[in-house]
Formats: sequence, C-alpha cells, structure tokens
Amino acid sequence: MKYAKVYFDDVNVGDELPPLVKGPIQQIQLTRYAGASGDFNPIHQDDEFARAAGMGGVFAHGMLSMGFVGQAVTDWSGAGTVRKLNVRFAAIVRLKDVVTCRGRVVGKSSKDDVNLVELEVWAENQRAEKVVTGRATVVLPSRV
Amino acid sequence: MATAINKSLIGKEYPPYPVTVERGKIKEFARAIGDANPLYLDDRVGAASEWGDVIAPPTFAITFRDETADSAAFLRELGTDISRLLHGEQEFEIFRPLQPGQTYLCRAKVVDIYEKTGRSGSMAFVVRETTIADHSNEIVATMRGVTVVRL
Repeated sequence: MKYAKVYFDDVNVGDELPPLVKGPIQQIQLTRYAGASGDFNPIHQDDEFARAAGMGGVFAHGMLSMGFVGQAVTDWSGAGTVRKLNVRFAAIVRLKDVVTCRGRVVGKSSKDDVNLVELEVWAENQRAEKVVTGRATVVLPSRV
Repeated sequence: MATAINKSLIGKEYPPYPVTVERGKIKEFARAIGDANPLYLDDRVGAASEWGDVIAPPTFAITFRDETADSAAFLRELGTDISRLLHGEQEFEIFRPLQPGQTYLCRAKVVDIYEKTGRSGSMAFVVRETTIADHSNEIVATMRGVTVVRL
C-alpha cells in the first residue's frame, strides 16, 4: 500500500486506511519541524519555557501531527489527491508518545467529472486517546 | 490572571505578501514529517508525474508566512504573548498542489475572535484565513487556522 493510488471505483464507504504509526516523538524531530515550518515557538523546544508557561514541559507542534495525518491519507490515496484536510487538535502530543493515524471512508460523490471521497481521520496516542480528529476530502481517478 | 483579548482585530486584513517556494524547502518539510513520498522528494519522479515537477505535502502552506511582518507585534496587538498560544484547529483546501519555483500571493485576514470558558479556564479563539493565489491570480489553496489563547 505504500504510496498507493486507488481508483474511485474501488473505494467503499466503511473502508479503512492502513494505520500509520509515528514516533516515539523525539526532541530532535520537533527541532527539525521548527526549522522546516518556521514555527520556532520555544514551547516546543525549551522545557523550562514550557513549564513556566504552565504546559508541564515541551510538546509537539499540532502541525506535526497534522502532517502525519496528511501522510496517512496520501500514503493511501496518492500525493496530490488531497482537496481538503481539516483537523481539531484534541490533546497534546508529548515527547516519547507514539502517534497512530487512522482513517475511514465516510462518503463518495461525483460532480462535474470530479470524484470525491470523504474520510474521517484521526490520530491517537499509545493510550488510545485521540490527539487529532478531522476530515479529509480526496479527489480520485476513475477506472473508465 | 485573566487578560483581555483585543476583538477590534476582527475583520482586519493584512497586506498581501508573496512567497516563492524553494525546492529544498518542500523536501526539508516532507523529511521533517518523516514522509518519504517520492512525489515530494524525487525530482525525476516529479518530472514524470502529471504535475511535471515535485509537489508539496498537503500541509506545506503553513510555512507561508509574511517574513516582513512582526509576529510579536501581532501578539501584542492581540493582547497576549507566544507562551499563551495553542493551535486549536487547522484547515487546508487545495485546488492545485503547491510547487517549487512558483511565486504565490497570500492574503490573510482575521475572520473572528471569540471567548469561551471551559474546564481549563478562559480562552480566546482567533480565527484567521489566508488565500493563496498563483501568478495568474487564481486561488490555488486556502487555509484557516484557529489559535487558542489561554487567558
């Protein structure tokens, strides 16, 4: 399934995405993501700063988890197929957490020759607590 | 200690700012997520694809900042500082993948600010929307972010 491209015709409501497991989250990944994204909020880098801010220590950028969720979708549907991705950051991801991204097809529609598949997507930590919840819409080719 | 959030920023539009996507920046971003998709990382795979070049991952537009803007000034104007912020929600709509070498024009706006009191205290929600247009002024993507300010 790695970097798969699926056809609209072969997708059914209820289909599940292969889970994508990320982590354990390490500080170096947060530093790398800060550089790549331009988000240098010290709350993700500096434990003392994060504690003083009342957050109990550093935690991951929400956008890193959203990036994981995006990858879970595109590993299944193909890069360049995402039309819409929206998430709510439901809980904080800490160092050493393992984040598993999942998704399920909740709808299919075709309009003006564009085939859309709606997905419910989420990410959970090693205690099965949801850290991200959201929806994705992908555009898929049809076989004919 | 509750602080007041400056709701007069609702409706504020910021000066449009251009962003030119660098090839290496797309790859750095994909690698930081740990996404090794060859359509992001391999120029030959990109060139042979329907897009004619590598493309950016779906959340890449979050890197589109106005480098000339003073982000600390925005937080001061809002009445808070960076240590009080959490990311609440984020949405991307992508009509065409973002690609290297392209210059996009971004237009950002504060669309709403509201307050709520929950079990973790009082919080303000700052909703911002950004449209991203290509060189022919066609909107290729939009993003909408909700920043949570712990009051």
